Amino acid sequence: MNELRHVLSELVVERVGFGIFVLDRDLNVVMWNRFMQDHSGKTAEQVIGKPIFMSFPELPRVWLTRKVESVFQLGSFAFSSWEQRPYLFKFDHDRPITGGVDFMQQDCTFMPLTREREVMAVCVTISDVTHASMMQRARDEAVAKLQEYADRDGLTGIANRRYFELRLADEFARWQRYGGELSMLLFDLDHFKRINDEFGHLVGDTVLRVMAERVARGVRVQDVFGRFGGEEFALLLPCTGFSDAMIVAEKVRRAICETPIDVQGTRVPVTASFGGAQARKGLTSSYEALINEADAALYSAKRQGRNRSIGFV
Amino acid sequence: MSEPALNEDQRDALQEVANMAMGQAATRLSKLLGTFIELSVPRVKVVGVAEASETLRAMTGITETVTAVRQGFRSDIKGEAIVLCRSGSVGQLCALVNDPYTKSTYETTTQTELIFDVATVLMGACVSCIFDCLGRAPIFSPPGMLGMCMPLGDVFQPATLAWKTALLLEVNFALEDHSFRAHLVMLMAEESILHMNEALDALLSRL
Repeated sequence: MNELRHVLSELVVERVGFGIFVLDRDLNVVMWNRFMQDHSGKTAEQVIGKPIFMSFPELPRVWLTRKVESVFQLGSFAFSSWEQRPYLFKFDHDRPITGGVDFMQQDCTFMPLTREREVMAVCVTISDVTHASMMQRARDEAVAKLQEYADRDGLTGIANRRYFELRLADEFARWQRYGGELSMLLFDLDHFKRINDEFGHLVGDTVLRVMAERVARGVRVQDVFGRFGGEEFALLLPCTGFSDAMIVAEKVRRAICETPIDVQGTRVPVTASFGGAQARKGLTSSYEALINEADAALYSAKRQGRNRSIGFV
Repeated sequence: MSEPALNEDQRDALQEVANMAMGQAATRLSKLLGTFIELSVPRVKVVGVAEASETLRAMTGITETVTAVRQGFRSDIKGEAIVLCRSGSVGQLCALVNDPYTKSTYETTTQTELIFDVATVLMGACVSCIFDCLGRAPIFSPPGMLGMCMPLGDVFQPATLAWKTALLLEVNFALEDHSFRAHLVMLMAEESILHMNEALDALLSRL
């Protein structure tokens, strides 16, 4: 009965779907199962009785020696995950056609084989986690894409209000701590309701999209251009003082009004009103206050006849 | 209704076992890492899930964010070990195992891998030594990152935990120069406390 069990155990180790091999303290291979043989192309006879680095000189020597030594000295387990170290052995995986990775992705476990409290040898198991790793990579990419969509306005592709305020809060905190200059512009297309009424909502949407593209082309990389809602937009200008911010406002205003927007053969003249504000030491208490000041200036620009830039003073 | 707990004899026995085991673990770690590691006297406590976070805060004295790695271990007594240190001290923690790696430009290692390595070494040494004293050889599962920069209070979130009472064992590590401290917490929940009772009774009866 015992003998049968022994034979069965050997067969299991031989046939099981992951790599099993055993190393002694000098890193000589003591056991080598079928999985290891099939994937490495080296038979048990070829590798057993020799240091593993002799058969596989490309293995990370310092790393592997240290792993095995820690198991011998502590009598506990050691591990390696594909997320930190994609593979130990350069094995092929079973997705040569549909896979996007070079070698089989591997999770490794280093187990002490103990007799009477002495570690006699270390058993290493290799699991093929190629499939799981590809699923996780795909998931990570999807999450990154979703994150990007979450920051963007669907119609214009520029930052949405949530993301704009997030960046504004960051820049404001930086300004509070380190000083320097920080300004923002709020602007609003003039009589946008009339465009919608006269030409229809599809034309209105195109106007918003083309206008956003035009403005985005002129924005510096460190600036944040966002849609605040409806036909209202905002421009965050880090390291920019009041007078420079108003120069930017005029430049953007002209870019919008100088050329009418062409929508399916219809030329739609568009103008915008701008309000600008600068964060002021001891006066601007929060980023929301800065938005309010820019909004008040924008309101003045509207009242003074539109298609102009007014700064908050 | 009786909460699973340790009687006074069992508690003393566990404290004794833990003291002895940490002595052994310190010797093994110092030999492996080539630097003297000082292990504190372990603290043993039975905690309810609601007070787990507060207990951890009181034991570690940490108010900053932490880096925390967990690992499961099992025999009839099963549980989890957690290694945690202030996020700002991670570099010093990694330096414990970093030595031969930094000298090798050929074999690069990421910081996360180093964190796992050092945590596994610390958890493995301590848990194995305790189980050794109890006549058991635990099986370990791969380590997992709880967080690189998390509030200590998030380590245990009572609402999401399935246990009510746990046996908590805390040890902390210091280097010879006391430049920083890392903590190891072992937790075993209800059923494992009963098995721990049996293991301790068996140990006591052999004395």
